[in-house]
Amino acid sequence: MDMMVSTLQQQRAVTEQLRREAAIRRVPVSVAVADIVRYINEHDQEDCLLVGFSSQKVNPFREKSSCTVL
Amino acid sequence: MAADTAVAPSPEETLESLLREVEALKQKLEEERQKLNDASLSFVAERLETINFPTLKLRRMLKGHQAKVLCADWSPDKRHIVSSSQDGKLIIWDAFTATKELTIPMPSTWVMACAYAPSGNMVAAGGLDNKVTVFPLGGEEEPAARKRTVATHTSYMSACLFPNTDRQLLTASGDGTCALWDVESGQLLQSFQAHAADVMALDLAPTDMGDAFVSGGCDRAVLVWDMRSGHAVQAFDTHLSDVNSVRYHPSGDSVASGSDDSSCRLFDLRADREVARYAKDSLLFGVNSVDWSVSGRLLFAGCSDYTASAWDALRAVRVGTLTGHEHRVTRVALSPDGTALATASWDSTLRLWA
Repeated sequence: MDMMVSTLQQQRAVTEQLRREAAIRRVPVSVAVADIVRYINEHDQEDCLLVGFSSQKVNPFREKSSCTVL
Repeated sequence: MAADTAVAPSPEETLESLLREVEALKQKLEEERQKLNDASLSFVAERLETINFPTLKLRRMLKGHQAKVLCADWSPDKRHIVSSSQDGKLIIWDAFTATKELTIPMPSTWVMACAYAPSGNMVAAGGLDNKVTVFPLGGEEEPAARKRTVATHTSYMSACLFPNTDRQLLTASGDGTCALWDVESGQLLQSFQAHAADVMALDLAPTDMGDAFVSGGCDRAVLVWDMRSGHAVQAFDTHLSDVNSVRYHPSGDSVASGSDDSSCRLFDLRADREVARYAKDSLLFGVNSVDWSVSGRLLFAGCSDYTASAWDALRAVRVGTLTGHEHRVTRVALSPDGTALATASWDSTLRLWA
């Protein structure tokens, strides 16, 4: 009997989970995808690993120059 | 939400009626998602102008661990890194100079998770000891002397993070749960239970609110959680094997995952479905860790084939490979200002690429 009660409780939790998932509001994929593309286009100039560094001086991990001014 | 009013147990609920409802709900979910599936990311991306992706070069090598490096996290100061290893040590590195600043001994080997606090004044770590311990940094005393155990699970600790505050800690565990803890008192604030197997990864939503997070686990599921209610609000279950890593896109509207099925995937939260898949027939090894570039155009994936890949997230093609590690890459982590990518490996090193 305990076993049945706990199985029922587990199943209830699974059902409740799915009820929540089914209740959410969705947008069409076309809208979601357009927003992803827009976000990337708005931020790509700040992306050093994508567009490179405007000058190597602003790259904190650049190679140390082998020549030094004495 | 209307569904919440219907959760009170009613006397006429039986196992059979619940099972029937589950089937009906699953079908409804699938139909709803399919109805809105009117485009594809790769189709939209094909019309974008092409870009030349720069080649990332190895800039620094961090040597000091005696065994596999399992996790790493950047300090908010953009300069320091904390790493944890199978050797039972936590190391604080100065990434600019590639030197060890501090070595902290942990109570057990296999320290699988470590994280910097938002203030940069504290790190948290844990693993096979089933606990997360926090170490205050700075000050006169050794961090190990001022350590405090915050979280205890009934199995190993796989991931931890500070949810935009030094006062709380979010953990994931092999016991199948995630949990939110009060750092000061060690009190459990909220438990998150819906995964059917070990939870392997966590990430916090990049919004100021910080009220949502995502997890991935060995039940192949990626779950999105409401931190306040403790409920899982969305589930994505298209991976074919363990999910090892999850990471919010910088926009906050989608989540990337890396899996033992050797693919990465992109799940859009508002469309409530998978919108891109990053995989190739020639790539057969598991993905252990993923992270995004600042704009979210590049998705980095640390793999068991000893490499890290850079994917064009829009066209879903691989645009770069970071080679040099001599064993599995366990972690890829972008620096907070996006100027470098850190990789950690079973070869006992961390490397920085820019």
